[in-house]
Amino acid sequence: MLRALLSELRYRLRAVFRRGPLERDLDEELRFHLEREAEKLRREGVGEAEAMRRARVALGGVEATKEADRDARGVAAFDALLRDVRYAWRGLRARPGFAAAVVLTLALGIGGTTAVFSAVDAVLLKPLPYPSPGQLVRIYAASVKHRTEEMVSTPVHFLAYRGAAPALQSIAALNTYSETGADIGSGDGVRRIRTLEVSADYFDVLRVHPVLGRAFERAEEHGPNSDMAVGAPVVVLSHRLWEEQFHGDPGAVGRTLSMSGVPFTVVGVMPAGFGDPLTGRGVEAWVPLSLTTGLDMSNIQNHWLSLIGRLRPGATPSEAQAELDVATERLTAPYPDSRDDRTYVVPLKPDVVGSAARALELMLGAVALVLLLACVNVAGLQLVRASERAGEFAVRTALGAGRRRLVRQLLTESFLLAALGAVAGLAVARLGMAALLALGASSVPRLAGLRLDGTVLAFAVAVAVASAVVFGLAPAWRAARTEAAEVLRGTGRAGTGDARSGWLRSALVTSQVALAFVLLAGAGILLASFRAVASMPLGFRSEGTLTFQLHLPEARYDSLARARFWEEFDRRVGAIPGVTAAGGVSWLPATGAYHTWGVEARTGPLAGTRQAWAQADNRIVTPDYFRAAGIGVLEGRPFDASDVMEVPDRVVISEALAKRLFPGADPLGQQVYTGGRTGTVVGVVSDVAVDVEGDLVPYVYHAHAQWAGDRNWPLFDVVSTAGDPEALVPAVRAVLAGMDPLLVMDHPAPLAAVVGRGTAQRRFTLVLLVTFAATALILAVLGIVGVLSYVVRLRSQEFGIRMALGASPAEVLGAVLRHGAVVIGSGIAVGLLGAVALSRVIASMVFHVSPLDPRALVGATVLIGVAGGLAALLPAGRAARVDPRSVLE
Amino acid sequence: MGQEGLDLPQGTLDLLILKALSLGPMHGWAVSERLHQVSQATLQVPQGSLYPALHRLERRGWVAARWGASENNRRAKFYELTRLGRRQLEAEAENWRQLTAAVALVLRMA
Repeated sequence: MLRALLSELRYRLRAVFRRGPLERDLDEELRFHLEREAEKLRREGVGEAEAMRRARVALGGVEATKEADRDARGVAAFDALLRDVRYAWRGLRARPGFAAAVVLTLALGIGGTTAVFSAVDAVLLKPLPYPSPGQLVRIYAASVKHRTEEMVSTPVHFLAYRGAAPALQSIAALNTYSETGADIGSGDGVRRIRTLEVSADYFDVLRVHPVLGRAFERAEEHGPNSDMAVGAPVVVLSHRLWEEQFHGDPGAVGRTLSMSGVPFTVVGVMPAGFGDPLTGRGVEAWVPLSLTTGLDMSNIQNHWLSLIGRLRPGATPSEAQAELDVATERLTAPYPDSRDDRTYVVPLKPDVVGSAARALELMLGAVALVLLLACVNVAGLQLVRASERAGEFAVRTALGAGRRRLVRQLLTESFLLAALGAVAGLAVARLGMAALLALGASSVPRLAGLRLDGTVLAFAVAVAVASAVVFGLAPAWRAARTEAAEVLRGTGRAGTGDARSGWLRSALVTSQVALAFVLLAGAGILLASFRAVASMPLGFRSEGTLTFQLHLPEARYDSLARARFWEEFDRRVGAIPGVTAAGGVSWLPATGAYHTWGVEARTGPLAGTRQAWAQADNRIVTPDYFRAAGIGVLEGRPFDASDVMEVPDRVVISEALAKRLFPGADPLGQQVYTGGRTGTVVGVVSDVAVDVEGDLVPYVYHAHAQWAGDRNWPLFDVVSTAGDPEALVPAVRAVLAGMDPLLVMDHPAPLAAVVGRGTAQRRFTLVLLVTFAATALILAVLGIVGVLSYVVRLRSQEFGIRMALGASPAEVLGAVLRHGAVVIGSGIAVGLLGAVALSRVIASMVFHVSPLDPRALVGATVLIGVAGGLAALLPAGRAARVDPRSVLE
Repeated sequence: MGQEGLDLPQGTLDLLILKALSLGPMHGWAVSERLHQVSQATLQVPQGSLYPALHRLERRGWVAARWGASENNRRAKFYELTRLGRRQLEAEAENWRQLTAAVALVLRMA
């Protein structure tokens, strides 16, 4: 059955689109037949001319045969369709205003939907770019007691997990935690690249293998000397780095690449476009993670390792989680501190997409509303047009056109409009996608993969066809119910002004107003939230502050040299004219949580109780950091030159942590345990936001000089100035060159810009939503104008009579405006209900304001009221100008 | 149409064409000749209906057409039964047998 249908379809398409060749085929086929027939007759003794004539007669006339054949090929139906389309086209050309309004409405609806759908498709729907991406999971550690945040894991856990969970095919660890990197090149070409430390199974988990050479082996997880951060000195290059450093030479495998002065042997090259799922495409080289158990590695409470895994086909994350929990229990049994440790296994993709998902879902909702509004608008326009054309349809019915034929005609028109709208919509979509990319590429993960592809195209076409059917049916249904005779008799209302269709039209406009209200209110709430967030105090000075990252290569700087370097560097940069202070920090404020470790009060009123524990962000800083970042010292002192490696650890804590761990006691002199070390509190500083939403979290600060031996910390240098921070770059560079010409000043930028990057994602959502709200308002206004114009036209006779009987133009004006007010008022009321219903959806995206912010609701009401009122004035004015004579004649 | 022989009842032309083609691929003229000969000249195939019928069968996927060289080495369009067409032929032939048997029965009894 299906095959017969397919064959039929194929044949018909060929018949329509390859008409010429088919006609020529037919000619040739018939000619052959005639010749053979004539030949046969000649052999029977018939004369040349007579034979040909008889052959033609037998065939029954060549042209008649051809015509019959065309019918058989199904060309006739197509001709009728073509006639319909041509007729519809003429009809649209006759009403350019109507056609333009419909096509524009559809273009906005379809284009907006397509553009945003592309974004949602690129970010949310498209699988991760690895084979069988559904099997990829992320493995977190968390404590049952304090499951406030999912934590990364530890090497101890990782080694215990490897091979312990049958539900996992493979599991890999990667150090996304520290901004690991290396300096490569020499002289002026020296450059800092992002490297990633990964366990040997990393490439197996992702199932992407080097195009050249090999991946890592487990033996390479152990380096020649245990104080190196990485395992064996081997490296897998990104495709780009291979092309840059080795000019794409296949012989690169086996050669060495000097990274921060250490020779690494190149063992493999990854395919182009391969990137790390957690840290993105910035990684240029992979090095083996060192799993040699040293002091730091063996600490079961020092969480710094990210784990990913690949599920066995058919296995679920919860199965893997149950198996890993067993392993965790076995592992932590001897350690009372870790007894509450649990594992959480979650699918990787939602984890990677993260917070952008909500923004995009919200946007998809908004765009669906706009599309709905567009369809409603088009339906309204079509209704008005259908009633205008009631006369035309009545005449055609009277002349014998079947209802089916009329319905077909209307549907053809709708489809033609939808097709035009879809084409215009695709143009809008292209523009929209370019705008989306420009706005969001840097803040929305995976958006860079945005392109107009087949899926999106299919989506747009489906939307176009669906709206064509939706709004094509309403007028068709009306036309089918129109009584021809009644219309032709010209009885008053042209058969369309009945209460029912008036109700339908008003309901359409009411729903438009309601949709526009919801969008406006939503945009208003996000705007209020955005402003509230922007005015949140972050607790530090971001203006007039330069920041850049600096990494000291291990090969030339041991821990003592690193401590000395930073002391000297801060001093020299601080002495640059115009610089107030310069200090280093391991992670900039308001750029997200980092090194969030448990911290325990070992002394004070809570010591020994369950309340003596808190989670805090840890930062390694140089003494002048607090002054450079404008963070106030409330009690005690900041770090100074006396806090060196030789003396017991000292810490500076934030006010929030002091209140939490030492309530009612003097925090100075107390002992806290964090990161595997115990330190004495020497100072309390003011609170600092951990993200751009202004969330204040507890902080523990450690002196770099004391922690330089813990690991090789790349620090962000923070340089404050009274002037333009970027103007400082050359001077700072000169200082750096004076100390070590091989060092790289990585990504210098004003601190305000670095922090502002976090707000970009919300700004992206906001701009889109405001655009949608504005579109919605325009569509609603168009709808109001349309419906009231129609009302005025229908009632112009009534108005004329009223005015003839003494009604003033003002009274007529009032009557139309009242109609408008009812429609707009009920629209706002419905919209208010919608906004309340949707407030829960938007709540997770709104900070520091209520998801039903009264200012936003009032603002939306006023905006729609004013715009709607102005829109109503236009047709109302026309009604007031009705000349009684013209109507009564 | 037919100067001699019997006119074809409605709908039987398709069946006859399918049957003729069941012997192997042939061009339109050969189909018409074949039907004429096999029916011992009793059936007059309306040649004007032959080509529309062939193209209708092609549209339905029961026969496939391709251009080839005729027996006198001229370009001609050859038709051949598809698997679908073969099944259709069996079904229609069976229908025909039942119909004629029933009609014959009625003619004898009534």
